[in-house]
Amino acid sequence: MTTIKKLDGKVPTGPVQERWKSHKFHMKIVNAANKRKYSVIVVGTGLAGASAAASLAELGYEVSTFCIQDSPRRAHSIAAQGGINGAKNYPNDGDSVYRLFYDTVKGGDYRARESNVYRLAEVANSIIDQCVAQGVPFAREYGGTLSNRSFGGAQVSRTFYARGQTGQQLLLGAYSAMMKEVHNGKIKSYTRREMVELVMVEGKARGIIVRNVVTGEFEKYVADAVVLATGGYGNVYYLSTNAKASNASAAFRAYKKGAYFANPCFTQIHPTCIPVSGDHQSKLTLMSESLRNDGRVWVPKIKGDKRPATEIPESERDYFLERIYPSFGNLVPRDVASRNAKNMSDSGFGVSATGKAVYLDFQAAIKRDGEDKIRSKYGNLFEMYQRITDDNPYKTPMMIYPAIHYTMGGLWVDYNLMSNIPGLFVLGEANFSDHGANRLGASALMQGLADGYFVIPYTIGNYFATEKFEKVETTHPEFEKSLTESKNKFDKLLAINGNKTVDEFHKELGHVMWDNVGMARNEVGLKDAISKIQAIKADFWKNVKVTGTNVDINTQLEKAGRVADFLELGELMALDALERKESCGGHFREESQTEEGEAKRDDENFCHVAAWEYQGEGVKPIRNIEELNFENVKLTQRSYK
Amino acid sequence: MSGNKAGSMSLNLKVWRQKNAKDKGAMVDYKLDGISPDMSFLEMMDELNTKLVKEKGDSIAFDHDCREGICGMCSMMINGQAHGPESQTTTCQLHMRKFKDGDTIVVEPWRAKAFPVLKDLMVDRGAFDQIIAAGGFINVNTGNPQDANAILIGQENAELAMDAAACIGCGACVASCKNASAMLFVSAKISQLALLPQGEIESEARTQAMVAKMDELGFGNCTNEAECEAQCPKGIKIENIARMNREWFKGAIGSRN
Amino acid sequence: MSSKKCSTSTSIGKKQIMGVTGLLLCGFVLTHLLGNLTLLIGSDAFNKYSHALTSNPLIYVAEVGLLALFLSHIVMAIKLTIENKKARPIAYHTYTKSGRGGDFASKSMAISGLITLIFLIIHITGLKFGTHYDTTVGGIEMRDIYKTTVEYFADPIHVVIYLVAVITLGVHVSHGFWSAFQSLGLNHPKYMSKIELASKLFGVVIAVGFSALAIFCFTRGGH
Repeated sequence: MTTIKKLDGKVPTGPVQERWKSHKFHMKIVNAANKRKYSVIVVGTGLAGASAAASLAELGYEVSTFCIQDSPRRAHSIAAQGGINGAKNYPNDGDSVYRLFYDTVKGGDYRARESNVYRLAEVANSIIDQCVAQGVPFAREYGGTLSNRSFGGAQVSRTFYARGQTGQQLLLGAYSAMMKEVHNGKIKSYTRREMVELVMVEGKARGIIVRNVVTGEFEKYVADAVVLATGGYGNVYYLSTNAKASNASAAFRAYKKGAYFANPCFTQIHPTCIPVSGDHQSKLTLMSESLRNDGRVWVPKIKGDKRPATEIPESERDYFLERIYPSFGNLVPRDVASRNAKNMSDSGFGVSATGKAVYLDFQAAIKRDGEDKIRSKYGNLFEMYQRITDDNPYKTPMMIYPAIHYTMGGLWVDYNLMSNIPGLFVLGEANFSDHGANRLGASALMQGLADGYFVIPYTIGNYFATEKFEKVETTHPEFEKSLTESKNKFDKLLAINGNKTVDEFHKELGHVMWDNVGMARNEVGLKDAISKIQAIKADFWKNVKVTGTNVDINTQLEKAGRVADFLELGELMALDALERKESCGGHFREESQTEEGEAKRDDENFCHVAAWEYQGEGVKPIRNIEELNFENVKLTQRSYK
Repeated sequence: MSGNKAGSMSLNLKVWRQKNAKDKGAMVDYKLDGISPDMSFLEMMDELNTKLVKEKGDSIAFDHDCREGICGMCSMMINGQAHGPESQTTTCQLHMRKFKDGDTIVVEPWRAKAFPVLKDLMVDRGAFDQIIAAGGFINVNTGNPQDANAILIGQENAELAMDAAACIGCGACVASCKNASAMLFVSAKISQLALLPQGEIESEARTQAMVAKMDELGFGNCTNEAECEAQCPKGIKIENIARMNREWFKGAIGSRN
Repeated sequence: MSSKKCSTSTSIGKKQIMGVTGLLLCGFVLTHLLGNLTLLIGSDAFNKYSHALTSNPLIYVAEVGLLALFLSHIVMAIKLTIENKKARPIAYHTYTKSGRGGDFASKSMAISGLITLIFLIIHITGLKFGTHYDTTVGGIEMRDIYKTTVEYFADPIHVVIYLVAVITLGVHVSHGFWSAFQSLGLNHPKYMSKIELASKLFGVVIAVGFSALAIFCFTRGGH
């Protein structure tokens, strides 16, 4: 029987403002001339991966990058709309590194490491400088200085943006930095490769097995360190705002090799997505949260009212957010807005053909400010909405519904962003992150780039300088073993030849996850979810139908491999949600709420990170713990009434 | 109200099927019923694939990822137009309500020497990465650059740079050009960087290098027909091509090497 | 980043040579039209103008220059067209223009150029190397090119061929003139639309101007 471990985040001591500086000084450095002797594998080329690859190659390390898509530029960071935070205080509105740190810790509902968050806030300014130097076309004022806006309920204007395409522009900046190093011969970029296994030699991460999705071949790559920057796992829910290829397999393979998976139940739901139009729906589209500044959320007062919205008189409308939260109204935080919309729909008040939507109405704002003003503010969003739904939001209310958007949980890492497996570093959304239990708007881009540009270049050097490395080749038996294991897994999937498609299983899993491990969770539901997921998993390995072969391109087979991992991760998420008996951030346990129905934290028992340790097939994993200490930001309960 | 609004549609599809890069390939006809007008074009293709898998057939390979019009992965030639008939719309954002019940829809991969077909509707656009690697960047390393506001950029140039930077690298310009020219893609990056003081310094050399790589990879030449601009899902303008031509000319007459 | 190649081997270099030679040829065509307007004044004016041109020894230099312009314009066009065909070895099953792109002129440059070339040969053999008559104007002996011209255009077939050709040429330059500015990067959002308009007007002037001359000659009935 293994015992629960108390994990050490290897956080430096001293005043929070000095920790990163002092840590940087105390870390060991690889001599400039020796750097070329070290090789690094970077999996994933989003903001975190591309920025890490570029920065490490610039330092002189030999870098190989891997991505599923046909080009590193397509990673899903590209879809981020809103912006990136930085505490530049250009608008002179009282922002500071400390305030950004404070807001992020509080926003994360006290479930992140203070030291990490402070470092994040500290390097945020350098990110802005770096991106501008790369030619990222941020919005500018007439005088040529950078524009800032307030975002996601922040009290200061600290968000830098490039129209509604900030993620795209930042990613293209990181991608071009990466391509510069491809040009210089320091990066080898491998595309259309999917990581299917982590290879460990003598306890250290030393390589990966990838499946070349064009040839179907399994390939072995060796290095001195492996960096995972493979994003989040929102697609466990089938429908999410994630890209179709976004998956959890790389992280989950690492988990199965012994890396701890931290806080898997911490997921973020975004309230303003375009609702599902039918079973055919393959993906959800997010609309900026800013819409709630002028839109009023309502449902009909009569259950199942089938009249068109415009024919429902004012007296028969329930503006439920304004009713329940009179002081914040439609601007309550993401999770509160989402939960209430789902409650309304679940109790039969939902609108649209599926009953899974609520109205977001701009009539009052149009009457007040005129259509032109609204058009200038939200024109492109209204256009996008109309393109997808064919409804004109200037005339009829929009319909919205919450959707999974971001996952705060991920592989556990220490202050150096290294997992418990030596040589396995995890960056960006893939790690358990600095966002605690809830991420603030415009902070995901910041974290991805902070990890890649300004943290890993220092900490990986320290790892290389302090460890001894044996020469390892891809002929090493561990590589052969891992390759055979993955090959067998894919062969097995092809051999089942059952009667249900991969998507059917994925949708089934998604339904269970959404209903029971979604935005409101309870013990009964979670236990039910675990047994249902186990049943789906058993059925999957008996009944899945994958056509085609293991040579050449086989998109069905790729999906099957991912869904196999999603099924196990889904169960782990439910388990984590079950054991975390408190509500915090995006994790709402119905048993733990205030009298007003608000999320109630239990700092006594749960002020910690839960880091799950794999114990083998069918064995319950161990829930290790890293205690969280708050020395700078006082623990308080939030209230939006 | 444009197109179809309610009910279910039946479609005749003519889809390019090609087992792998070496296979010759051919157009194959499919009949598909029960398509909702609310489906996106890719969701319609998903339906077709489900049907094929159920009938033990090999599903149709096509590139797609974000399905919200920004990653640039989707790439179908629909009824002879890149990303289909709707202007400034990627395939993933094209909805079936834009078609009529009973329509015949022809679906083909991008066709260009520099974009070889890998399977069915999937092509290799690695050439674009190679062009960017030839010079589509600013030579600045991660470190401590000057304060972001030390570089002032007039709003007009910032906006023009952003217009060019909006390119998603999907390759519709190459696909729609009768010469399979990549000039719009290449010029968008050259323009973005040439318009900004950070990138201006290297502009001439960058243009020479990127154009040379583009030529080497076998893309066609520009004949100023503007079909690329018309079919670009992001509305990238051919004035970028003119800017690239100018930068190239400056480099050709001005540089020493 | 110093992989520069000589102009004629790169795509943009070739395009710019097309542009420069095209613009110079536009200049020639316009001069040719203006000079030929002397036809309207009468036979003496036209013959004097023609004599002044051909008796100048520099004419040989000009003709060689003109030939060089034509040849480089044509050679580049052929090279570009061959390369463009190679860039898409497998054609589309269905290929539709969006209708939002360029106009008819831009899509038919190769064919309008080819027609112009064929016409050019007919035109030179029929007129420059056509029937030779002599005349005396103001005591100077010179070629009666006026007579050659009106005789030539007395034949309605010649007129029809000529009209088709100059309208095609008008279409060709209506895109080509603007296109040269685009290829050379001489564009600016403020005046680009004006160049486009000027380009179209130029096409109309060329087509209408030359057509008018041919019809005028035809109406002379051979005298």
